This record gives sequence, C-alpha cells and structure tokens, in this order.
Amino acid sequence: MTIRVALIGNPNVGKSVIFNALTGGRAHVGNWPGKTVEKKEGICRYKGERIEVVDLPGTYSLTAHSIDELIARDYIVKEKPDVVIDIVDASNLERNLYLTLQLLELEANVVVALNKFDVAESLGYEIDVQELSRILGVPVVPTVATEGKGLRELLEAVVESAKGRKRVITVSYGKAAEELISKIEKAILKDRGLSSRYPTRWLAIKILEGDEEVLKEVERSPYKSEILEIIQ
Amino acid sequence: MEIPLAFLPENKEAKVIEVKGGRGLVRRLSELGFTPGARVKVLLSNSPGPVLVDVRGSRLGLGRGLLMKIIVDTEVNS
Ligand SMILES: Nc1nc2c(ncn2[C@@H]2O[C@H](COP(=O)(O)OP(=O)(O)OP(=O)(O)O)[C@@H](O)[C@H]2O)c(=O)[nH]1
Ligand SMILES: [Mg+2]
Repeated sequence: MTIRVALIGNPNVGKSVIFNALTGGRAHVGNWPGKTVEKKEGICRYKGERIEVVDLPGTYSLTAHSIDELIARDYIVKEKPDVVIDIVDASNLERNLYLTLQLLELEANVVVALNKFDVAESLGYEIDVQELSRILGVPVVPTVATEGKGLRELLEAVVESAKGRKRVITVSYGKAAEELISKIEKAILKDRGLSSRYPTRWLAIKILEGDEEVLKEVERSPYKSEILEIIQ
Repeated sequence: MEIPLAFLPENKEAKVIEVKGGRGLVRRLSELGFTPGARVKVLLSNSPGPVLVDVRGSRLGLGRGLLMKIIVDTEVNS
C-alpha cells in the first residue's frame, strides 16, 4: 500500500529537517504546475509501507492570499493526501495552532508533530500532549527533528491514521454565525458537484469570510443566487 | 503611548492595540499574528525596503505603509 503524506507548517518550524529525516534526503525537486514555487517529493519506507512525502510551502494560514497558501490549500483540497503532517512549533503553540484549525476545517486527516519540543522544554513550557490530542481530535507526537527524536512515533501515527479517519472536531463560531453557516451549507448541498469536491462547512465559513477563490467556485454553481442570497 | 508600529524604535517591545483598515487587511494581518495583545518588536528599520518585525516569535518583513496601520502601545505592561 502507498500512503500519500503532505508536510505543512508555519515557516521555520522544521519542515525541511523532518522531510530530510523521513526521506533520507533523497528528494525529487521540481516546481508546482505553472508556479515557480519549489516542490519537493520523496519516499520513505516504514514497516513495509511505501510513504510518499510532499513538502508544502511554509504558511501561516490557508486563505487564498498568496501563491504559497493557495498551493498548500489546493493540494490538500484537490489531491486529498491520505495524511497531512502538521508540523507545529511547540515553543510557539498559540500562533501555530491557527493553521492546525484551518486544516481541521478542511477536514484533512491531520497528525500533529509537536516539533522543537526541546526548545519548549528549555523555556519551561509544560505541554499536556494527551490533552492537546483530545481537544484537537487528532494524534499529537512530540518531536525533536534535529536529533531524530519522535520520528518513529510520528511514522507510527501516520500509518495508523492512514487506515481510517477519526471524527472531525468542529469549532463553534457562536450562535449568529452558526445559523448562517448551516443555512449556507444547506444551499451548498443542493449542488452535488460542489459539495462533493469540498467540505461543506469549510465552504460555508469561507463564503462568510469572503474568500475570493471559494466565491469563484460559487459563481459557477447553478445554485449561486440561492447561496449568495444568504450573505446579502 | 499609542503609536503606529512604523514609529516604534528598533528593539523596543510593544503590544498591538488594533489594526486600522478594512476587513481584508485586518484579517490578513491577524493571520500573520497581529491580533490585539500580541507582542511586537521592530528588529531592523534603518534600511530602505521592508521593515523586519518580530511578532509572536516570528520574523516578518513588512512595508512601512502597512506598519502605519498597526497601532501599538509602548507600555507593554499596562
Ligand atoms: N532545537 C531544535 N531546532 C530545530 C528542530 N527542528 C528544526 N530545528 C531548527 O529550526 C530551523 C528551521 O528548520 P527548517 O527545517 O529549515 O524549517 P522549515 O520549516 O523547513 O523552514 P522554511 O522552509 O523556511 O519555512 C533550523 O535551524 C533547524 O535546525 C528541533 O526539533 N529542535
Ligand atoms: Mg524548509
């Protein structure tokens, strides 16, 4: 079996170190189609599994603001990797978890690598890894990529997650927004094509946010006016 | 004292009060870490081109026009 894995994370969290450790530094380097952004792919073997690893551009968010963000988001939405390893800087959790939340809203099959755990410890941070995993609803594995620590456990979690997705955690945006979200979702569900390509809740949230790329998709929908009427 | 981030001296810590701008700008800057209460520091501003800023532990290069829209408080502990 082949497991397709994408690495994602904020800039400077240790993606390259983890990519190199997983793939043994043997990467195929190319460009993303039509883009000048570098695309790195490599292979990792673990317990008889062939794991294809793609390094996504470093990004703070998955809004369609920059080429990097769009590449990362398109890859996750359209290529639907079996597992997305979200590399989080354990010494800067609050900032990094914003991207994690966006990945969860995209209904990606996330495994969190809590990297730079050594830095977090030296700062005196005590992270309750189990509790974090419970709140996020996904596996969380502490790693120190530069020392190769935790990578075996990370691969174990990846292989395990590839077997099946667990339930998706949803973050509530409060009563008023939630009412709009469910109305928009209902309208989106009428468009079978649109709702099979993207998670409907994610679409609804992006429509409320005025996300340009998502609004372009809605423009093409036969249910366009019904969907857009809700946000007038 | 509340000032635009563009006027903050190098290496002095401040705290974000607000971003003055439209919805898109406020959202974009908050994704980069500029939310009320976030700690910021200007690392390098004496060269032309982008100003190097530390926000929430990440370094970003931002234009001066953008920094005018980010209002910070120089009293970090208030
Ligand atoms: N102490 C410590 N340093 C780490 C760890 N992982 C990575 N680093 C260091 O963090 C820095 C950034 O690592 P990279 O792998 O280049 O990070 P990246 O996410 O690929 O960065 P960009 O591609 O620039 O977004 C390097 O100096 C690494 O040596 C870790 O677990 N502990
Ligand atoms: Mg890198």
